[in-house]
Amino acid sequence: MARLLQVFGFLSVLFRGATLTFQSLAVGGIVFLIFIVRRSQEDSAQLQQACLRWIRRSALALAVMQISYVLANSLILRESAEMPLRQVLGANFVLAGLIGIVAAFTVVVLTVPMRSTGYAALLLPAAAIIASSVMTSHSMARLGYRAPLVAFTALHQAATATWLGGLPYLLIAIRRAQSPEFARQLGARFSQLALASVAVLASAGLLLSFAYVGSLQAVYGTSYGAMVATKVLLFVLLLFLGALNFQLVRRGPASSILASLKRFGEAEIGIGITVILTAASLTSLPPAADLARDRVSAREIFARMSPRAPRFASPTVQDLPEDIYAAQKKAFEVGSLSTESYVPGQTGTRLNTPAEKAWSEYNHHWAGIIVLSMGLLALLAQAGRFSWARNWPLAFFGLSAFLFLRSDPETWPLGPVGFWATLADPEILLHRFFALLVIALAVFEWRVQTGRVASGRARLVFPALIAVSGALLLTHSHSLGNLKEELLAELSHIPLAILAVTAGWSRWLELRLPSENQTRNIMGRLWPLCIALIGVVLLNYREM
Amino acid sequence: MQPGRRRFCALVLFAVAAAFFIVAPAAAHAVLLESTPPLNSSVSGPNVPVKLRFNVRIDALRSRLTLLCPDGSAQALEISKETRADTLAAAATGLAAGAYRLRWQVLASDGHITRGEIPFTVTPS
Repeated sequence: MARLLQVFGFLSVLFRGATLTFQSLAVGGIVFLIFIVRRSQEDSAQLQQACLRWIRRSALALAVMQISYVLANSLILRESAEMPLRQVLGANFVLAGLIGIVAAFTVVVLTVPMRSTGYAALLLPAAAIIASSVMTSHSMARLGYRAPLVAFTALHQAATATWLGGLPYLLIAIRRAQSPEFARQLGARFSQLALASVAVLASAGLLLSFAYVGSLQAVYGTSYGAMVATKVLLFVLLLFLGALNFQLVRRGPASSILASLKRFGEAEIGIGITVILTAASLTSLPPAADLARDRVSAREIFARMSPRAPRFASPTVQDLPEDIYAAQKKAFEVGSLSTESYVPGQTGTRLNTPAEKAWSEYNHHWAGIIVLSMGLLALLAQAGRFSWARNWPLAFFGLSAFLFLRSDPETWPLGPVGFWATLADPEILLHRFFALLVIALAVFEWRVQTGRVASGRARLVFPALIAVSGALLLTHSHSLGNLKEELLAELSHIPLAILAVTAGWSRWLELRLPSENQTRNIMGRLWPLCIALIGVVLLNYREM
Repeated sequence: MQPGRRRFCALVLFAVAAAFFIVAPAAAHAVLLESTPPLNSSVSGPNVPVKLRFNVRIDALRSRLTLLCPDGSAQALEISKETRADTLAAAATGLAAGAYRLRWQVLASDGHITRGEIPFTVTPS
């Protein structure tokens, strides 16, 4: 139980993110099957079966996620409030979860291979899945304008599912279509549906933003506002890729565009999942409109972000608190309480000492120099004039060594805690593991850059990891209140995340697009530029 | 599955799992907007009305208010049923002078559980 409490906040976002993703895939698949595949003129029995198979898998995964969420939340509620089970079962989230679980299993039953009847019956459980999700959204707990907010949330989620959830089915359809012309027709029809979905999604999103964010100052002054702005930026990125797709399906012979269409679709799915994960982290934050006090002002952001010389002098280990984690726990226990709210298991926050801030800034600035060097060398390598520059991934070794030495200063080799003792601390162990992961990244990408791996999926490790890192930077959220320091740190992490997502997917497209596609060259210049910019942002990272 | 493909999948899964574990925990979204008694305030006893207002609708039946007394004991407060949807109210009676902490845990209507504490001092009336 204690372990569950510790990871409860994290589990909530994980389950929410997974639920939104699988819900989009299940509902998007149903809409694609009924409105895109079934209305085609050609025989599409094989394609229908493939769609049904993936809808069934998504619905099953959705049911598993819903069951996990209801069980975890019920257990926490029962234990933390010493509540009888009967009372727990009457909670709104249990009812919402049950509706979602029953609807998901209904989809599983209706999509079994033996059935050959119409698919319109699937629309009812699809609507129930959306309703179940809306029941645990912000809109349900609002005091004012509850009914319209519930309606807009339902429209927003349904449109997201139709567009982003339908994309994987478009890729399946392109792969399985009996003729290139049929695939092009499906692509064109999906583009029209996607356009309508985007219009609904954007309109509902705009209205929800008015209600939940409320003002321009709240956009940059609160965590919620900043995350909404991030979602909008990623949405624009998706629209750009969607526009490229839209152009593709309307010109040229079908055979030459399908490969490009598939690759753009892959990137759209990846960025789409990133947007959904960002939305999951939004559901865990209080709406900006509710937090009128302690917002970060434009002047404070400008003061923190304005360029200054990097810090190349580090405080000594002796300047830091003896045991950072113990100090944090102690600060909470002695009652440094505020009006902050917590999820069960979450600990309080302690302000870092100036030495800790300087230590962290020094870390970020050196990491920035290494990453900026990698980006610039990659740009030179892409230009094709300096073959030695292709060894840029080796700089990751420097980053790994830096992480190993500086992420846990109280441990070996810098601090008094011995190497073997660090293996017992999961947090330190994870930092060490991350340093190893960076080495793996260096080896994979160095082999790709130097031609040792000319083809195959190993080439995709680097872009996949960079894109996943960016998505995860967006998935975590910070305090429930408006802790200014945390928000200012978050505001510097958001550009890092967006640049990482852009770098990952542009490199992916460079590797995957067919050579005749001109966009490939642009992508080949874009990702090193993004990596160099990540270095610049890191170089200007400030904690004071 | 081909060995190369299997290795690739294993690596990506490994990386994703690792990255998930380094993500900081996120929090739910019911936040306390105002309270009686206010945070770190002094109120005169022995009877202290308690009222907490949140930013969202609260499931009062599944929320809890507990008073941590100066002697270390804990006293569950009965939550009033006659309040607004965003408010929890109760009455703490017979309080001796000393430092108290009001511990609250709420279930928001959207299923999020949040908790917090309000330290306050009771002075003799």
